[in-house]
Amino acid sequence: AKFILRKAEPKDVSDILRLIKELAKYEEMENQVILTEEDLLEDGFGDHPFYHCIVADVPEEHQSADAHVIIGFAMYYFTYDPWIGKLLYLEDFYVMKEYRGFGIGSEILKKLSHTAVRTRCSSMHFIVAEWNKPSIEFYKRRGASDLSLEEGWRLFKIDKHNLMKMTDEE
Amino acid sequence: MKFTIREGKPEDCKDIERMIMELAVYEKMPDQVKISHKELERDGFRSNPYYQCLVAEVPEEQKSKDGYTKVGYALFFYTYSTWKGRVVYMEDLYVMPEYRGKGIGKALMATVAKVGKEKQCVRLQLSVLDWNKPSLDFYMAKGAEDLTAKEGWHHIRFHGEALDNLAQEAP
Repeated sequence: AKFILRKAEPKDVSDILRLIKELAKYEEMENQVILTEEDLLEDGFGDHPFYHCIVADVPEEHQSADAHVIIGFAMYYFTYDPWIGKLLYLEDFYVMKEYRGFGIGSEILKKLSHTAVRTRCSSMHFIVAEWNKPSIEFYKRRGASDLSLEEGWRLFKIDKHNLMKMTDEE
Repeated sequence: MKFTIREGKPEDCKDIERMIMELAVYEKMPDQVKISHKELERDGFRSNPYYQCLVAEVPEEQKSKDGYTKVGYALFFYTYSTWKGRVVYMEDLYVMPEYRGKGIGKALMATVAKVGKEKQCVRLQLSVLDWNKPSLDFYMAKGAEDLTAKEGWHHIRFHGEALDNLAQEAP
């Protein structure tokens, strides 16, 4: 399939949200997406961008069954490891089912790693659900390490309600 | 004990570097520390900072046995959840052993939460090593949930040669 990878633009937010929801559905957590197009617009294209995004675009003739031209995306941002410095953190990475197996995912990952190296990042990090075997295999084949297994890191969250409690107590 | 929590400044980087190493020793991975105060200064205090930091300071009369008044720090940055939006990620939280149990860690973390709240963050995230019971207890007491246990999330990394190999294949 012919496709191009390009930086996302404000006009793409509706497609980006659609793909975010599709990926959440695949991860069996669709009802957890509360983000809106407005949030994506303000948070990605405002004064202080919280994320960067690249999209995979196919020509009109190859559009999806329900007439979409944007058929994949990757969202990332820069984080910091006090031991090694800047990191590229991959938040979401998704290609629509009917476009898999054509090397689009590989190209996106390569482009991201190229960005990481070019911006002096020591590593690219992300999280994967342990039951997601196809994705884990995809990354392991390319030399990724599972730090949760190898070093014992566990990810924690503290929700708004408990954050408010913490700030109220101070 | 009297202490203050304030925003980190470029001149704090040497102390932060010292405490980063102390934390890395505690986490049993000191040989993984590759950067110094120079990179910390460059990456945290120029036009496009890659992290924010807070420092906990005690008055001269209460300085440590080695003569330090900067006795704790928190290092954090903003991330993005495609489900929930803005998140504040607390990368490091550390208080020197002789200053623990006095509310300094709690105050540092609450300040991170406050800063995050001001930036309209909906959540705070952090990572803890599975054997680190004192830290696990500290965070659980504040309402933290283990997403690795609950939802199966694992941290994955492309580092060094693996990252270079991937990049070399780029079009």
